[in-house]
Amino acid sequence: MKRVIQFGTGSTLAVMLSSTALMAAEELNALVWCDHTDPALLEPFETAHNVRVNVKEYEGTAAALAILDQSRPGDWDVLVIDGVDVGRAVDEGRLAALPADQLPTASFFPEVVMADNNTRDGVTYAVTEKFGYNTIAYNKSKVDVADMNDMSTLWGEKYAGKIAVYDYYLPLLGLVGLEQGINTADLDSNAVEGMRERLYALKDAAKSVSDVVASQTALATGEVDIVIGGGEWLTAVLSAENSDMDWLVPEEGALRWSQSIGVLEDSTNKDLAVEFVKYITSPEGQARLATSSCYWAMPANAEAGAILTDAEKTALRWDEQADYLARTQLYPTPDADLDLAMQDLWTDMLQQ
Amino acid sequence: MRILSWAYLAAIFVFIFLPVVVLVLFSFQDSRLPIPPFDGPTLKWYATVLADRNMMEALANSLLVALISAAIALLLGFFAAQGLSRVKLPGSVLMRGVLIAPMTVSYLIIALGLLTVFNNLGFRPSLWTTGIGHVVINVPLCFAILFAAMGDHQKNAERAARDLGASELQVVFLVSAPMLKPALLAAYFLAVTFSWDEFIIAFLLTRFDVTLPVEIWSMLRSGLSPATNAIGSLVFLVSIAILIILELTVFRKSKS
Amino acid sequence: MTIEHQERRRAFGFVTPALIWTCAFFLVPFAVMVLLSLAHLEGREIIQTYDLDNYVKIFTEPSLFKGIVVSLEITLIVTVISILLAWPLAWIIATQVPQRYQRLAIMLAVLPFWTSYVVRSYAWALVLGQNGVVMQALIGIGILDEPIQIMATRAATIIGFVHFFVMLLTLTIYSNLIQLSPNYARAAADLGASGWNTLRLVILPLTLPGIMTGAFLTFVLCIGDYITPQILGGNNELTMPQLIMLQLGRRGDFPMASALSVILMMLVTLAYAATARWLKMERV
Repeated sequence: MKRVIQFGTGSTLAVMLSSTALMAAEELNALVWCDHTDPALLEPFETAHNVRVNVKEYEGTAAALAILDQSRPGDWDVLVIDGVDVGRAVDEGRLAALPADQLPTASFFPEVVMADNNTRDGVTYAVTEKFGYNTIAYNKSKVDVADMNDMSTLWGEKYAGKIAVYDYYLPLLGLVGLEQGINTADLDSNAVEGMRERLYALKDAAKSVSDVVASQTALATGEVDIVIGGGEWLTAVLSAENSDMDWLVPEEGALRWSQSIGVLEDSTNKDLAVEFVKYITSPEGQARLATSSCYWAMPANAEAGAILTDAEKTALRWDEQADYLARTQLYPTPDADLDLAMQDLWTDMLQQ
Repeated sequence: MRILSWAYLAAIFVFIFLPVVVLVLFSFQDSRLPIPPFDGPTLKWYATVLADRNMMEALANSLLVALISAAIALLLGFFAAQGLSRVKLPGSVLMRGVLIAPMTVSYLIIALGLLTVFNNLGFRPSLWTTGIGHVVINVPLCFAILFAAMGDHQKNAERAARDLGASELQVVFLVSAPMLKPALLAAYFLAVTFSWDEFIIAFLLTRFDVTLPVEIWSMLRSGLSPATNAIGSLVFLVSIAILIILELTVFRKSKS
Repeated sequence: MTIEHQERRRAFGFVTPALIWTCAFFLVPFAVMVLLSLAHLEGREIIQTYDLDNYVKIFTEPSLFKGIVVSLEITLIVTVISILLAWPLAWIIATQVPQRYQRLAIMLAVLPFWTSYVVRSYAWALVLGQNGVVMQALIGIGILDEPIQIMATRAATIIGFVHFFVMLLTLTIYSNLIQLSPNYARAAADLGASGWNTLRLVILPLTLPGIMTGAFLTFVLCIGDYITPQILGGNNELTMPQLIMLQLGRRGDFPMASALSVILMMLVTLAYAATARWLKMERV
């Protein structure tokens, strides 16, 4: 017994000591998407500034805003947020002004600077860091690629039971809207309600409605042949192993997602937080972010192309971006009520 | 009857071991996807996991939370069992009910309740809040095990010690505790296990410093990889090793 | 009288810390949650009102109400299958396996308990997938021509749950069985009962406490579990914990999450009431 207790306290102490030893002088708290949790992304910044970057990932913008509501002022320094939702955070006074002259937006892909979203009244509140597409991903050895170009075939008999639907209501409702000829900017509560039957029919044709990993697994294991809502972020990781994983933007078009990064208004460490934003948008930070462990996607800063390897650029489809950018639309931007209506519709569909 | 019995035993053991075997086997997978065909063996995923800073910190956090919260739960449960087994108290049925109650409730409810209260009080989610939650779920467990283990034999010894002038704490720590050693150890290690493996409370009540199950969950959510198999197998092997050591030393001795 | 008084005061002193902890971090939070379930989410503000709107919504909104039905169905199916599989296993270990190997057999039967809980469901996802070992084996030996879909269905969720709860129930039933005196069986045989009748009419009823204790724990743990249906169910239907996490994770709707939790709690209480006469929770 004595020995057990000694062993217990001994190891407990060792653990406590070792975890305090890891504490750096300063800390930066960031509320992020999962790609920011990759140590390979954070380490260069941590070493350069002798700071510990704490990251917490979240699922949807509403949840992030709720977390901010429940936190005390100063709890958070950096926020990564859906590009189309920057306005919501600005409305609530969450974001601080960024020094626009110190940000490399001049070397960004012009389409993703998204000044309409990231600035207000000439003040920059956030900056785009990464973007990609929610479109049709598939196993090209199992499907007729020509069919993929026409989204409506996915509702047909041919691929019934071989489809996974990515479980995120915003891009998926956007895609279903595009299939019906509605632009994402025109989605209102009527249009959303009108998509109910079409969405239910999609659920019937699909085998599962699943998150990133489950849909990735399903595609990789041959469980399904098509992932609606998938894109490079789903297949790039797999392409090294299985060259049959592919994706395209169909005739109807597809959705473009983007994530922005900003500094929180009540951060007590704004200077360092701005440094972090500068690091993330620098060519080096951008290259690391583009290939971070959770998902790969295009960096906003085109200069990252000089750092990424050719194989990485191929996986990201670097050279085809102009075409994709031209044929894709931004996420729908619902207000709080429409957002809840969309989520309700989505939950109804899941429970069908 | 005998043949039927053994056939059933074999079939159900296959069922019980199937996921474990597949988990461990594909942790040695060479390619990036832990699905057939098996193309290993390699140890590279173990190297990946052991070199993963977040994973190792989560492991240390889990250990810390489990060892400390189980110790607190054991102390509270032991005292409560000591008090309630000693004399018939007015309302003792109610008190027993209250103490056992958290065991009959889903962890999700406990987690959500604590999250709400801590939010209102402005407590930041952390390993501390997780630890508090783990003590809540483990007090009933420790109490139940120890309460069941306390018998007349022990009450007599305690009374004798008291008659000989031992102080209250001397009685508890020098007489009761040694007599209950096997039960105390069993309760402690069960509590450590429960805390170590608990997900939903830790998921909702941590922020940056997460525990191992939460870290594994986010690893799972970020992509399919034999590394998940590797960390799963490691946890399994370590648990089994501890179990065997305990079985061969502590529990065997206490039985004889 | 005074000595007894003193005794009681001391005994109270011992119980108090645990009681305070349980009240402060369990009963009070639960009460707060009940209050919160009467509030509203308006836009992103939580307005504390005192009405039953959330509950009305749960019972009138088909997608929410179905969560209760789905959870109950899955939990009951899992509980019944687990008992049917675990009882013979416990009985075989307690009566057919030689005494000295029993402890080993029981430890082996619950060995996968020691894998991480999160990883266990993930492992089942690997096993049950279209290309998983089960399908490959069934096709290999010619039982199936092509893989059937188990993964991402209710069946997968149920298999994942049953795996865990067979282990749990085997433990509770086995510990019940070994406490029974062999004299019961002998007496029944002396009175002319056949082996089957002894089993059915004598042994089985005597193991009801073990069955019911395990069944209640199965009910509580199964109906409150988020991980297993989330990983194995493929989001084709949502259980109550999944709905609760959806309210928290995507909508930040604490009042609705609380209301769903209160209903979950009521279901557990009903299960407790149904099994209470056999339960000895202090002796689990």
